[in-house]
Amino acid sequence: MDIDFFSAGFLSALLAIVLIDLVLAGDNALIIGLVARNLPKESQNKVIFWGTFGAIAIRAFMAIIVVYILAVPGFMLVGGLALVWIARKLLTPEGGNEESHLAKPATTFAGAVRTIVIADAVMGVDNVLAIGGAAHGSVLLIVLGLAISVPIIVWGSKLVIKLVDRYPSVILLGGAVLAWTAYTMIIREPFLAAWFEAHPATKLVVAVLIFSISLAPWYSERLSPQLKPLVVLLPALLLWMLAFEVAASAWKVQVDYLLATTEGEYILEGLRWIGWVPLAALFLWVREQFLLRNRRAARDTR
Amino acid sequence: MRLIHRSPRAANAVRTVSPSGELFVASVVMCMILAAFGDAVDPTVFGELGLEYAIFDLGGEFSVLAMRHWDLLQLLLAGSVLATGIMVLRIVVGAFYQPLEPAPPQGVEKVPIKL
Repeated sequence: MDIDFFSAGFLSALLAIVLIDLVLAGDNALIIGLVARNLPKESQNKVIFWGTFGAIAIRAFMAIIVVYILAVPGFMLVGGLALVWIARKLLTPEGGNEESHLAKPATTFAGAVRTIVIADAVMGVDNVLAIGGAAHGSVLLIVLGLAISVPIIVWGSKLVIKLVDRYPSVILLGGAVLAWTAYTMIIREPFLAAWFEAHPATKLVVAVLIFSISLAPWYSERLSPQLKPLVVLLPALLLWMLAFEVAASAWKVQVDYLLATTEGEYILEGLRWIGWVPLAALFLWVREQFLLRNRRAARDTR
Repeated sequence: MRLIHRSPRAANAVRTVSPSGELFVASVVMCMILAAFGDAVDPTVFGELGLEYAIFDLGGEFSVLAMRHWDLLQLLLAGSVLATGIMVLRIVVGAFYQPLEPAPPQGVEKVPIKL
């Protein structure tokens, strides 16, 4: 990506990185508190400083490495698919307050710093993947993004918590930005770029597919129980359509009815547009049977 | 554990989000999908169909085609404009038209809509 300071593209990428950093940030203060609680008072301050420093350093190093890894063909697609899952997980409501199993109380200074750095590295994998994708291959953007967001997270974590507590829509926006980043990563994948250029309409299908999977926890909350199966049916239908487009390229078959000439091609076209209906009906019937069985089991136990 | 999970409201954002915040993010998502739609339209179509396409097009496709190169900042701005427009429309329409209320499911009315 060409770096043009203060252009819309540059500022947008920076904004995306900062937003992703904020919503996917790990709770470093909690980790440090848990790890350092058994250490003597005089060591605790040193652990806080070196633990924070180590965590920032490892985060910056991982983010820069991710930029180079994403340049390897195939990794952009894998990273994009992982981001879809990360966005979905971000929006899925959490049950209770869980403590991190990565943070065990340490007894030595070196052990405490090591635990903090490892815990941060493990917790930050999704974060660095997302900012690596949003940075469009620019190391400068990553460094700038981290320089802005890390101090906010480390020293202003209470401010971040206040912000997301007052405006939970920031989390939804973070999920949407992650889904958008996943879309741009998948269509930039070198293996697929030529195919997307030859089949431009599939880009829209991919975009809606990504948003329908990533944002499912959000829109499923607003659907009535009768419409809940849409959460599965909509992505499945888009995948069905996409699969025919991929099959048409892989096996050189004609799936466009305007260009179909033989009987087989017309049957294939019919299968593409109507073939999903019996499968959807079967899914709805099986789902209904499960619901009825569960309801009956619940009634029997009462 | 994520930092945002320290706030119960943020951890359950899909349930606790305000209607206006939700409308804003939904508008941004709509703009993102429209931008992807602009990306999906083959620009050579204009070359093939030319004036005929331009005459019968309602302007929508042209706007969407312009969105293909939009960045996040532009999408956020467009989303906020769209959300404001929808909100104003709701207020204006609400002032002139009474929304229909469904009658209670166990009610005796023949028409299940109460004016």
